[in-house]
Amino acid sequence: MSLLSVESLDVSYGNVQAVWDVSFRVEAGEILTLVGANGAGKTTLLKTVAGLLAPRRGRILFDGRDLVDRPAHTRTSDGLVLVPEARQLWPGMTVLENLEMGAWGKRARAESARTLAEVFAMFPVLEERHAQKAGTLSGGEQQMCAIGRGLMARPRLLLLDEPALGLSPRLVREVFASLSAIRKAGVTVLLVEQNVAHALALADHACVLETGRVTLAGRAQDLAGDPRVREEFLGVSGV
Amino acid sequence: MQQALDVVVNSFLAAGLYATMAYGLAVIYGVMRIINLAHAGIMMLGAYTTFTLFTHFSIDPFLSIVVVVPLFFAGGVALYRTVVRRLPRSGSTPSMESLLLLFGVWLVLQNLAYVLWSGDTQSILTSYTLKSVSLLGVRVGVPSLGVFGMSALSLLVLEFVLHRTYLGKAIRAVTQNRDAALLSGVDADRISAVAFGVGTAFAGLAGTLLSTLFAFTPDFGRSFLLKAFCIIVLGGLESVTGVAAGAFVLALLENVTAAYTAVPTSLQDALSFTLLVVTLVVLPQGLPGLSRLAHVRRRG
Repeated sequence: MSLLSVESLDVSYGNVQAVWDVSFRVEAGEILTLVGANGAGKTTLLKTVAGLLAPRRGRILFDGRDLVDRPAHTRTSDGLVLVPEARQLWPGMTVLENLEMGAWGKRARAESARTLAEVFAMFPVLEERHAQKAGTLSGGEQQMCAIGRGLMARPRLLLLDEPALGLSPRLVREVFASLSAIRKAGVTVLLVEQNVAHALALADHACVLETGRVTLAGRAQDLAGDPRVREEFLGVSGV
Repeated sequence: MQQALDVVVNSFLAAGLYATMAYGLAVIYGVMRIINLAHAGIMMLGAYTTFTLFTHFSIDPFLSIVVVVPLFFAGGVALYRTVVRRLPRSGSTPSMESLLLLFGVWLVLQNLAYVLWSGDTQSILTSYTLKSVSLLGVRVGVPSLGVFGMSALSLLVLEFVLHRTYLGKAIRAVTQNRDAALLSGVDADRISAVAFGVGTAFAGLAGTLLSTLFAFTPDFGRSFLLKAFCIIVLGGLESVTGVAAGAFVLALLENVTAAYTAVPTSLQDALSFTLLVVTLVVLPQGLPGLSRLAHVRRRG
């Protein structure tokens, strides 16, 4: 059974439909990436899976259980955690407070001391800056704090919405390296990324989303070699 | 010199009460983006509750706090669960529906008070109401001192709860970014209920404190609501310190005007309103904006 199975999802903002009949599966232990241009519906899709938006139609099965009627905050305690676009930290709270609040659920809170040590081991800069207000961190540090906050919830499936956006190439590499480490620690990852080359190099499977529909899906390695992907996203023209 | 000392001491004493009054409004706005127009009505009800406890059960007004605060907290939670939560979520600005609803609640409370206590002016006269003591050479009414002490205590407790408990941190998290709080597993609806309870309890407490200083009728509270708005605009919603600073600025302005200018005290409400408008024009981010500005200047 897949860890996450999205089936025939339609999502609309009022009368404007943003996601059309989207289906995909994420297997336990893998990294799946959703790639696509701006406005393709990637963020909408992640927000719907996380419960911030309600779908018009379709099912979201997490570990075999339909989440559609579960409110967002309970999905987090179930182990499905979204690290949202643009970080969305609490700027007036310290780094440590941001991380602590990530472990809000009962299960996560019981293990928070251990998780915090793991997060600090992965992102030492967060330990250095733990007393600093999150709003005063640099962009890369904020991203690390956001990922750290997501990990504090002890996710089984971590959803990340463009974690590399606006970061320097060195920090992009660092963030992607942390994603591999997270997967090695046993967390399944669903990654939305505009940086297609990086995402395909990291992921096991990939789906290409165009104007709200899945147009290509398969092994990331195969997609990286697909002429349509190469032309559309990797800036390599065909034969 | 003595007059300046008078002004400062009196401003401090008034600021405590003002901060308590304003915080109730700030916490509800912060968490829910709702302006609680019923705030004045709740303060009025707090005053009458204390009055009834005093006249019928001879409970000291300051002691009545231990009844008023839990009672109003429960009332606030009940009001949220029955009515307020049904409002459509409006995003980052207060909706017309929320303003109308809470204005309606205010009217209901007012009329309830007319039925229960009539429209006569009431006041609470204790053995210490007219006593005063000397503080730094300034004559200070005993009730004013008590009011300041209770306000300061309530704000310290609040500061502790907001920064040292999980519940308080959740309130701050929902205030700063509601979606992020949901994504961390915080039940924002439950936090909203708590925040509405806390806001109502603070309004009730402010009403109790006001009743030891002023006479009141069912229409009581309006001018204090205006002051509370002004303080929030000045001090921001983020911190208890900000609210306290805003409260002090307003109190200082009022006392300086009363001591050094010919502006009649009947124009005091106009004063807070003027400060509100000036702040919005000159310093739309309030006092916290001022410190950010200074920070940028230092760097630049």
